[in-house]
Amino acid sequence: MQLTKHDFSASIAGRIRRDWREWLIFLAFAGPNVALFAIFTYAPMVNNLILSFNDWNMISSDKAWVGLQNYIDVFTDSQFSRIFLNTIVFTAASVTLVLALGLGGGLLLNQKLRGRNAARSILFSPHILSGAAIAIVWIYIFDPRFGLIYAVLHPLGIQSPNWLTDPNWSMPAIVIVYVWKYLGYATVIYIAGLQAIPGDLYEAARVDGAGAWMRFRHVTLPGLSPVMFFLVLTSILSSFQSFDIINIMTKGGPINSTNTLIYHLYELGFINFSIGRAGVIGMILFVLMFVVTLLQLRYLDRQVNYA
Amino acid sequence: MNKKVSRRDLLKGIGFGIGAAALAACTPAAPAATSAPQPTSAPAAGGSDAAITYWGFNGTLGKTEDDMVTMYHAAQSAVKVDRQVQGSYEETAQKLTAALAAKTAPDLALLSDVWWFKFYRAKVLMPLNDLAAGAGIDGSDFVPSLWSEGVRKGAQYWIPFARSTPLFYYNVDMFQAAGLPDRGPKTWAEFDEWAPKLLKKDGATIKTAAFAHTGAASYNAWIFQGVIWQFGGEYSTPDFKIELLAPDSIRSAQFYQDTVDKFGWAVTAKDAQKDFITGLTAATILSTGGLTGILKDAAFKVGTAFLPEEKQFGCPTGGAGLSILTGTSTEKAQAAAKFIAYATGKEGGAFWSQNTGYMPVRKSTANSDSYIKYFQTYPQTKTAVDQLPKTRPQDAARVFIPGGDQIIGKGLERIITGKENVATVWKDVTAQLDKEAEPVKKDLIALGA
Repeated sequence: MQLTKHDFSASIAGRIRRDWREWLIFLAFAGPNVALFAIFTYAPMVNNLILSFNDWNMISSDKAWVGLQNYIDVFTDSQFSRIFLNTIVFTAASVTLVLALGLGGGLLLNQKLRGRNAARSILFSPHILSGAAIAIVWIYIFDPRFGLIYAVLHPLGIQSPNWLTDPNWSMPAIVIVYVWKYLGYATVIYIAGLQAIPGDLYEAARVDGAGAWMRFRHVTLPGLSPVMFFLVLTSILSSFQSFDIINIMTKGGPINSTNTLIYHLYELGFINFSIGRAGVIGMILFVLMFVVTLLQLRYLDRQVNYA
Repeated sequence: MNKKVSRRDLLKGIGFGIGAAALAACTPAAPAATSAPQPTSAPAAGGSDAAITYWGFNGTLGKTEDDMVTMYHAAQSAVKVDRQVQGSYEETAQKLTAALAAKTAPDLALLSDVWWFKFYRAKVLMPLNDLAAGAGIDGSDFVPSLWSEGVRKGAQYWIPFARSTPLFYYNVDMFQAAGLPDRGPKTWAEFDEWAPKLLKKDGATIKTAAFAHTGAASYNAWIFQGVIWQFGGEYSTPDFKIELLAPDSIRSAQFYQDTVDKFGWAVTAKDAQKDFITGLTAATILSTGGLTGILKDAAFKVGTAFLPEEKQFGCPTGGAGLSILTGTSTEKAQAAAKFIAYATGKEGGAFWSQNTGYMPVRKSTANSDSYIKYFQTYPQTKTAVDQLPKTRPQDAARVFIPGGDQIIGKGLERIITGKENVATVWKDVTAQLDKEAEPVKKDLIALGA
């Protein structure tokens, strides 16, 4: 059992081989993902940053470096503040509604009700439909003179608003469609979260004399916090990027009333072909989402109870 | 020991696997990069002399176009047309832009009135004079105003194909019920007198509007181009001086606002064509391109008329034409020109126009026997052809400034739907148009135009 010089060098060689092997394993597992991210996320992001300092129409062979001009153009555009505000309003309204109604739906459909599975499927089904198809159907539903909403409101003597041609109603209309599409998804995630809360916690609370509200407040809500955190994060990010419904239903109109940053990006880049200014909007969206994610990780994560 | 070796072999295998995958991922890119400059040099397939790729219409218009291509293939075998659909005018232009960057552009593309100029500015459209002459296309046979729109510095870049004008559409049954004559109004003042008789309300709710405006998404700036001229105004001069703040231009927009606000007989429709077909409006102004569809779908008698006048008559041309891309080989460009000759000519062109409502772009097509018979059957379709000599090409601000159509269109929405002060809005729009016009002016100087 004595170490000879030969054995010693062999063990070093063995270690190097082992290190090498670990690297290979690491590469084998992480490499493809890193490569995909690098090619399809990081490179375009860097490219976008560069484009945002250029004046380019996408066909011309020469891109002109214009420094901060695109940023100045975007921020001094008279419609920009409205578009920015639209984005915040749309995101706040749709995320709040999806989370609140989703919680209600989740609590309801977690009960032992007859037809529960059917109800769950019906609620979830809009989520798997394409946004474009949903948008087209809702254009008909919203029609103030023969739509479904008209048919419901008319007998009650209520006049249906001009949902899609009235700038005061177009944003609520878009939010309704978005919430309808994503509600089922939130509900299903909530149900999963509810079922993960151990039943003995409720029993213990009951033994301690906690009523329904106290049980909800002190057992259900803390138990759901990881799920809620996940939903807040993903719904904010996805509503920032909601494009299909807006493009089909209103194209940002009327009068920019439903024009959000992501639609404005499309408009600048692919209708006006001002790629530089579209790049600026891309950077604004990136910074916004980055900040939202950071804030959430920093503050919300602390409130989350990973039992 | 054996086990250890086999594991190492396994890892080696994985390593090679990754390398191979990486190589595999690279290989398709490499030849694409080298062959990119000659994307169209591939030999013609299918036994024909030349096969060309054409990006054309979508939807029902696309189906009619498919039928026309089938007829073309039956009539000759030298040229094979592979018609592909990319979407609306906007989507076609977007994809063409991307395809040019990727060197996968088609040989022939359908470009709308507001798009072809962008590609001309980028120098990716082929001058067509020699090709057209070679394919037997006689420029003098075309309606002169349409033909000349595609000319820059004496060269033809855009050949009229699916060309349209706005038309005044009215519901003859409703006009009769209101005791009105079976014709369009001569002037807007006359229509203002008629409108209250056509309007049907349920309390404050308009059940049937006398007139329906289109929104920015349905090219309201194209329809309004005629109206602003009728009032004596214009969007801009040919050299991009924006004229929206001229008194007559303001007056025209004020009138549009009044129709909804003050007179209360017009509405802004989500889809004016649908509203007209379903009887939700008694009249509207829409493209001739929708005429065949409207005649087919409407359950009432449809009337068509010239646009109403105010100070004068005013009506723009519109629609789309065909352009050949510069990346195309001579052989394919010649084949594409032959197809253009067919698609605008007596057989293909007549079939196309009669089945869509677009105007016959060649005089010989409009005068052909089949057309004379067609006019007798559908007299509504003759209105556009009669109106055509009175039309003129649109103002530079809408068609040559990038995004000009939507900038003006959204301004109109602010005026009609948002009830904003006309002068305030036109001032904003003027500033925007001025700014977007700068690069165009620069390019035009560079192009020596």
